[in-house]
Amino acid sequence: MFDIDWRGLLLPLAYLGVLAGTFMTFSRVYRKRKAFESANLAPWFGPHLQRNIYLSLLHMEPEEGSEKTPKVPDSVIRAALLRRAVEDIHRIIQIRTAKQACSSLLQRGSVGDDLWQRFQRAEKEMEEELRDVVMEANALVPNWGQIIFQSANEIAANKALRDRIDEIEAQTEKDKEWWEKRRTNIKTELMKELEAEAEAEEGQQDHEGSEKGQTNSKSSVAGSEDEPVLVETDTPSAASPSGASKKKKQGGKK
Amino acid sequence: MSDLDSFDFIPLHIDPKSKAISAAAQTPATRALEAELAALNTLHRSLHGLDPPHLVPPPPVPVNPKRSANIGKLRESGNAEYRKQRYGEAAKFYTLGLQMALTRAAWEPSQLVREELHALYSNRAQAHMHLGLWAEAASDAEASVEAKRQGNAKAWFRRGRSLVEMGRLAEAREWVARGLEFEGEEKELIELLKEVDAKMEQEKVKRDA
Repeated sequence: MFDIDWRGLLLPLAYLGVLAGTFMTFSRVYRKRKAFESANLAPWFGPHLQRNIYLSLLHMEPEEGSEKTPKVPDSVIRAALLRRAVEDIHRIIQIRTAKQACSSLLQRGSVGDDLWQRFQRAEKEMEEELRDVVMEANALVPNWGQIIFQSANEIAANKALRDRIDEIEAQTEKDKEWWEKRRTNIKTELMKELEAEAEAEEGQQDHEGSEKGQTNSKSSVAGSEDEPVLVETDTPSAASPSGASKKKKQGGKK
Repeated sequence: MSDLDSFDFIPLHIDPKSKAISAAAQTPATRALEAELAALNTLHRSLHGLDPPHLVPPPPVPVNPKRSANIGKLRESGNAEYRKQRYGEAAKFYTLGLQMALTRAAWEPSQLVREELHALYSNRAQAHMHLGLWAEAASDAEASVEAKRQGNAKAWFRRGRSLVEMGRLAEAREWVARGLEFEGEEKELIELLKEVDAKMEQEKVKRDA
């Protein structure tokens, strides 16, 4: 009665064993991965290049072929620290602008929890970074810590303004060229129209002769029009590379 | 910046004479690193220009009044030439003033730089307009607006007018409309907008004809 058929049970037992084993491995791997992920959330900012340069300068190593470590003058260290402060200013601005958006997105549930975690970690890191910079500044020059970020702020603002002004100045040259070209075009068109008018009064017979001399196909267009000045509404950047061909097309339609 | 106690070491090389920092020879420098090192060297050189007692940039305010006075003087000279209707000379003075304002040390208050730039660019735009240099005037006025967006109706107007003169009507219309957003009801701008609209209408009629 109680004679168990071990052989018959072997298969179900093996099945149960495999099942339990699978579950255990899965849960262990899954949990481990999750813990790993939360410990290694992608940082909010990329590598802090200026900070790396600053610290690298402090820890200069002797170059190949020479024994002693190269001496880095203090002024270079100070400049590097100021550059680091400027980059921190950029990051503070980013964090401040992102904070509002981030928290409202989180409330609405549009972004996951890990983004918020990353953000908070970045915020905390920035605080530490600022404290560190102030301490370093005070160590280099007494009381510099109080003003280094003021200076860095102005440097960042000035850089942004100057970049925009440089952009505009660069555009000026292109504009000038374009306008120069356009003005000569308008002038020649005006001259040709005057010529064409004079010819029309003289008669049709020598019209063909003068047509040969004019290599530009625009002349015939200008002649047929009431006004010589075709005012284009394109921007110069769009107009300058294909200005001539465009004009021909416009003329062709009329 | 995952860990606050560690950093990525960048092999750097310092020139013993000029103290210029560059990436060490054995590692290929990325473009970002090169740009950053160039910025660092420029900043380092400009730190050497500080007055002797200062080792680091002084706080942004108060400003050293010498440069401001010089820039003011150049602007005044430009204005005087302008009143005598010697526009070329005036533009030259304004250009000198602009150079002075643009070469201010990077850590001086950017608000001050903006003030100076907006006035000088706006005046130079006006001088260029009198000379018929519309392209130059247009971009000067744009730079002026860039330095100071609000309360700068003259600059908005000058670029708009220059664009109209060059026949860039659609652009002018967009520009003036934007200017009106910033300046509110500015008579000059409204009139210019009407003029642009009228011209565009003319163009359209002519094109359809």
